[in-house]
Amino acid sequence: MKALNALRIMERVTVVTIFLVMVTLYFVNVMSRQVGGTFATNFAWIEEAVRLMSLFLVFFGLGLALEQGRQVGVYSWRDRIAKRLGLPIRKLIDVVAVLFCVYLAWLGYGMTVFVYSTGQISPTLNMPIFWIYLAPTIGFLLLALRYALSLFGVIDRYSAQDGGH
Amino acid sequence: MLLLVVAVTAVAMLVLGFEMLLVLGVPALMVKEFFYGSLPDPVIVQKIVGGINHSTLLAIPFFILAAELMGDGQIARRLTSTADAFLRHFRGGSGYTAIGGSLAFGSVSGSAPATVAAMGRMVFPEMQKAGFKDKFSLGLIASSAETSLLLPPSITFIIYGWMTGTSVARLFLAGIVPGLVLALSFALLVWWEARKHGVARGEKASWRERLQSISRAKWALGMPVIILGGIYTGYFTPTEAAAASVVYAIFVESVIFRTLTLKKLFAITERAALSTAIIFILLALGGLLSYFVTLAQVPQAILTFISYIDAGPFVFLIVINVIFLVFGMFVDPNSALLILVPPLYPVAMALGIDPVHFGVIVTLNITVGMITPPFGLDLFVASSTLSKPVMLIISGIGPFIVANLATLMIITYIPPVSTFLPNLVMG
Amino acid sequence: ADFVAKIGHLEAAQQSRHVHLEKVAALVAERTNGAVEFQIFPQGQLGQQREMTEGVQLGTLEATVAPAAFLGGFNPVVSILDIPFLLPDNDEQAQKIRSGAFGKALCDTFTSRGVHCVTLWPNGKKHFTSNRPLANVGDFAGQKFRVMDSNILIEQFNALGASAIAMPFGELYTALQTGVIDAQENPMDTIQRMKYYEVQKHLVVSDHGAMEDVVLFNPTFWNSLPAEYQTVITDAFVEVVPELIAHKAESVKAALEEIKASGIDVREMEAAEKAEFREKMYPATRAAFLSRTGDEGQSLISIYEEEYASVTK
Ligand code: NA
Ligand code: NA
Repeated sequence: MKALNALRIMERVTVVTIFLVMVTLYFVNVMSRQVGGTFATNFAWIEEAVRLMSLFLVFFGLGLALEQGRQVGVYSWRDRIAKRLGLPIRKLIDVVAVLFCVYLAWLGYGMTVFVYSTGQISPTLNMPIFWIYLAPTIGFLLLALRYALSLFGVIDRYSAQDGGH
Repeated sequence: MLLLVVAVTAVAMLVLGFEMLLVLGVPALMVKEFFYGSLPDPVIVQKIVGGINHSTLLAIPFFILAAELMGDGQIARRLTSTADAFLRHFRGGSGYTAIGGSLAFGSVSGSAPATVAAMGRMVFPEMQKAGFKDKFSLGLIASSAETSLLLPPSITFIIYGWMTGTSVARLFLAGIVPGLVLALSFALLVWWEARKHGVARGEKASWRERLQSISRAKWALGMPVIILGGIYTGYFTPTEAAAASVVYAIFVESVIFRTLTLKKLFAITERAALSTAIIFILLALGGLLSYFVTLAQVPQAILTFISYIDAGPFVFLIVINVIFLVFGMFVDPNSALLILVPPLYPVAMALGIDPVHFGVIVTLNITVGMITPPFGLDLFVASSTLSKPVMLIISGIGPFIVANLATLMIITYIPPVSTFLPNLVMG
Repeated sequence: ADFVAKIGHLEAAQQSRHVHLEKVAALVAERTNGAVEFQIFPQGQLGQQREMTEGVQLGTLEATVAPAAFLGGFNPVVSILDIPFLLPDNDEQAQKIRSGAFGKALCDTFTSRGVHCVTLWPNGKKHFTSNRPLANVGDFAGQKFRVMDSNILIEQFNALGASAIAMPFGELYTALQTGVIDAQENPMDTIQRMKYYEVQKHLVVSDHGAMEDVVLFNPTFWNSLPAEYQTVITDAFVEVVPELIAHKAESVKAALEEIKASGIDVREMEAAEKAEFREKMYPATRAAFLSRTGDEGQSLISIYEEEYASVTK
């Protein structure tokens, strides 16, 4: 549980920091244009950088959102159907989700390695492109972890969902 | 046959309460395996990232964050109390306040879910007190938020403009009158409902109080001036305006109103970040789906169908509305936009439909999709911020969908409602 | 067909690139008796250019016809084509450089990047437009130009004292209209198709930037083709080049007429002025190119300078 708490704090600090830095950079970009001249040219990299940061913002937020019951879905009928049919639908969802996320993380890893090997770089920042595929790799792993914890009853993501009311 | 298996799986997952990301993602993987087995699998990740790796989409997280900051702080509250001071003495005044507040907040917010959250917290208790039925109040709050996507700024217009090369500044102007028409149609429902159930009226505010409320809202009213003024005078692009609105919201809430603490900023930013993650993962998987739709040459099939039935603009627009409404029932609105606009836009152009007019039609369809069950984003947000079951909200949404469809017909078949203002201002 | 190649590109179906891709597809189908089929996906239907190029490396896409300006991240050496006034104005001289030792050397640099380069394809030249006068080289200073993602292009504007502003293509029209930026550079038919002339006051017909396309195939797919089919394909791409140039020239002419009719100020850049610009911009952009590409860039630029001297003398 301690490790899970540490992970949570790490994720929360990461998404908040990334988000606020994105806002700041975009604002700096607007301001630099008011100065103009070749000074403004020095900030041509911002667009590329903020776009990359947005990917990490999205993928680091997936697991947290699930844990807090905030991923969207139509939950109204789930538990009634489960009762009627006598099926463990909640467990079924968790199992399917773990497989889905692990598979995508695996593909993401493959893509990261592939792009790393081709040495593709970004046109303005000269930054290696494999970073953009590292984001989903990590993100889907974090999401898989949450689904697995839910499957084994370590966390309860269902009670916070809208269908739970 | 295999396609049927995919469709049945998708519907079953939706009904059984799988998270939307699985409802979109798992069938997409099945399509890949069944129909494009020879494509290397990493293409899946490539298209997922490709679906959200666009600068223009950055407007979404920024607008969400700005809206959360304003909704949580004083800006939304002061805008709403201004609306309240002018509207509360009518029968069912709190219902009109819900609409007026959503319009006012919608003119500073580009995100409908954020508007639902902000308005819901403030207006719902008032409507309950006044004697409105819960299901009507919930339906009204969820629906009124649609106007935030029609009044500038608007995420939907930005994405449409980016996809089709239509001027976002023109689209912003074009959405204003349709947004007001939509609000008017909801106001008629409030009028009817309040009469039917004998809802109380509030005490009339004095002009002194009204002027005070405007003065108290001046910093909040400064927001649209800065956002729209900044865009039309060339200080920033619509996407940058979203970032500027975050900076303005932080400044006003912390320096002027002194209610925003660092701790609150952290919590609000985290909440907005997670909202972003939830919407973007759907956009990303929508990107994957639309890739397969393209590979299967579905756009060409639609074109063939439309030229086969030899539709003129009149029939075509009906077809468009039906396609969007059906899609909007099941798919998240931004994904519907990304999947449907690329094949339909060229046809609309070939039929001589004005791209700005088409953009308003599409956007109104998108906003309707946010309140149509089973998958209606605004319904979910209203449910989670007000802790009410989704089914209760759905049970009251019917009249609002009807009002929406009536507005849709007006917008669709009277183009000047959309195009008059941009043509007047921008030539 | 025994071999099916999905080919993705960014341009619209009426534009020169697509029209001639269709022609190549027809030639190839005919000469291989239908054994090789090209399925062409225009207008970025299969994704942005970066994704398509990556797809050709991966094998999710058999081929793409990519503007060189979008390939710098995959192969920094190709950014040499971003250098302004790189190719001579004379079409024949330009084609000599494109198809000669320089073009071959440039094409070869793609092999180590996991793609097979068939040939370079011409796709017109860029021109400047602005809301502020561009009467001479000094006028460029202080103006805000939208620039594509490229270090070389950033240097091009730095050399003139202008601001280089990064901005997505889709936001350019509005940004010009509202005055977020003053100016931009694009090929003539793009300026016309995207209606930039509606929101600009001055056009300088400068022909300053070569818009070269690179025809890229997935190596696994390419090597699976019998040698004779490879020859058929390569020849077909090279064979249509004169037609492509003529078609492009026609659409540029039509575009220029439409732009002139709109009443904006249009000025042709004289040869002497072009030389002045080249003199000012070449050293800075050349240096930016070399700092990105090292020895590989050095050897390519030597070949280029030799070819340029011999072709233009
Ligand atoms: Na809005
Ligand atoms: Na819906």
